Amino acid sequence: MISDRLKKIICEELYLDPSTIEINDETQAPEVPGWDSLNHANIIVAIEKDYGVRFKGLEVLKCNNVGALQNLVNSKVSD
Amino acid sequence: MIDFSLVEGETLWERWQYFAQTTPENEAIIHWSSVKEPVRWTYSSLINTANKFSVLLKNTGIKKGDVCALIIRHNPYFYPLYMAITGIGALPSVLAYPNPRLHPEKFRQGLEGMTLRSGLDWILTERALEEMILPFVQNEKTTVNELYFPLEWNLENEIDSKSVQELSDIRVEIKPEEPMLLQHSSGTTGLQKPVSLSHSATLKHVENYGKSINLSDEDKVVSWLPLYHDMGLIAAFHVPLASGIPSIQIDPFEWVLAPILLFMAISEEKATLTWLPNFAYNLMADKLSDEEMEDISLESLRMVCNCSEPVRSESHKKFQERFEKYGFAQSALAAMYAMAETTLAVSQTTPGERAEEVSVDREMLANGSVVVSNDKTKNRVCVSSGKLLNDCSLKIVNEFRNELPGETVGEIAVKSVSMFSGYRNYPEKTAEVLDKDGWFYTGDIGFVVDEELYVIGRKKDIIIVAGNNIYPEDVEDIVSKVDKVVPGRIIAFGEDDPELGTEQVSIVAETKLETEADFDKLRVSILRAGMEINVNIHSVYLVPPRWLIKSSSGKPSRKANKERILSRTDKKVWSKK
Repeated sequence: MISDRLKKIICEELYLDPSTIEINDETQAPEVPGWDSLNHANIIVAIEKDYGVRFKGLEVLKCNNVGALQNLVNSKVSD
Repeated sequence: MIDFSLVEGETLWERWQYFAQTTPENEAIIHWSSVKEPVRWTYSSLINTANKFSVLLKNTGIKKGDVCALIIRHNPYFYPLYMAITGIGALPSVLAYPNPRLHPEKFRQGLEGMTLRSGLDWILTERALEEMILPFVQNEKTTVNELYFPLEWNLENEIDSKSVQELSDIRVEIKPEEPMLLQHSSGTTGLQKPVSLSHSATLKHVENYGKSINLSDEDKVVSWLPLYHDMGLIAAFHVPLASGIPSIQIDPFEWVLAPILLFMAISEEKATLTWLPNFAYNLMADKLSDEEMEDISLESLRMVCNCSEPVRSESHKKFQERFEKYGFAQSALAAMYAMAETTLAVSQTTPGERAEEVSVDREMLANGSVVVSNDKTKNRVCVSSGKLLNDCSLKIVNEFRNELPGETVGEIAVKSVSMFSGYRNYPEKTAEVLDKDGWFYTGDIGFVVDEELYVIGRKKDIIIVAGNNIYPEDVEDIVSKVDKVVPGRIIAFGEDDPELGTEQVSIVAETKLETEADFDKLRVSILRAGMEINVNIHSVYLVPPRWLIKSSSGKPSRKANKERILSRTDKKVWSKK
């Protein structure tokens, strides 16, 4: 389940209105308007900053959808 | 340094075979993966597998001169398959694997645009794309004979003597001056320009470029560049493979998500050479943390070559300062000027020396004169793309194509022994850029100081995002169809993103909408339209009807409207950023 907090960070970074954009566990980056490879790094940095965590590139690489990204965030926060 | 006079082979296949016979156990390609051990191809194993593919390709009916599109993700069998096509005299043409955001219909239209000029004969791809590509292959008007999935072919059986003889008979007939490969420029709707290169042009370039970078047996190339891009295909694949040195190939999709992969490969494999578009310098310097860089050593790198988009001084500075403590030497900061039409490079900076920089008066530069200035308030620091390669000539010309004196700004025209012979089946486009004396007018703007070439911009409206060329027409066409946009009243242009060290795509569109909520919705619809053709629109500017300035042709002027938008003075312009 995607938290409102994660959705809000992604939408803010892409200047999207969270109420009009569908983001769920299965959503993949290319399905979200504006989430391309160049913006990807900025989104990851925004998530790191907001949650006060650090990801390694290879950890992010394994996330094939937003659900996996949420799980990665959760695992870091609970550490 | 490699002594190319001692290396045999007048066609690419003969060259690869030469190395397979003389240094069979030397590594040729190291196929890198983030999750598995790398697959390590020797020259011998590579050529043996390529031979098996050649037989299978021949048996399907593919013959000399046929164009084979390769649409395959990062896969260890891609390399022998590519070589196998060359080995039966057919022409491999590597195409980009469709991004999931690309609309299937748009992908098919792109293929259709290519068949118009290059006459694609066969498509070699993965089963996952069957549903997407099949309607195009079954279309009556297509030139494509068949769709194949060669990664599923059985490579277990050894080749029988009859097939060996047949391959040998085919290969004897492949001549050095005949076309060897076909590259396509970007563009989605028939704007692609196919460039075919011969064996001799490619091998001559391997030699001239190899000499320009002092290529030696000790070198090891590493690259994440896609092989549908000339820099990836020629610099990081053909040059090492035809010089007898190994290359490490990283998945571009993986690199962009985890840029550390490049440095891991460099560190573990002690790689010496790599090529990067300018944005990658910024991305890596900004995003890689000390934690990720732990255990990384960049000491083996002797050259990181900046190419494919304008080279920025601040990107070199940032990269060098960030990675100095990991062993990166500033003398490794290199640059080249290259294009598919000349096989690849025209100029290259001197190995072992940091790319030269010159600080010039910005205003004088805009007026066409190169005047050195150290006044930081009005100067522009330009980075050299180096000196001309052997067998290349260059001149700077004015709008009438008359040669200009030194230290004057103008269009760059080049001539090279590795020049293409014209765009395939596109005589009108060829006539626009190639004159009767063999000069190719690049459309790029630059100047020469002390024999060093500085490229500072371009005449054409092409937008270069992270090394990829995007035609504004493609973006304008798709946005024109978005509901609530005034049809035809759109311009697309490249907007500088200094933080990322590249350009981003911006759109100015006229609309009758008036409320903030409606603007928001329209912006998302425009972004989605860009996604359909795999273009990320970064900024959307919405303006009222009749806002856009028209050019003399009656169409909205990209140049005038870009200037108007970037002056940021008009309150009628809506934008989210």
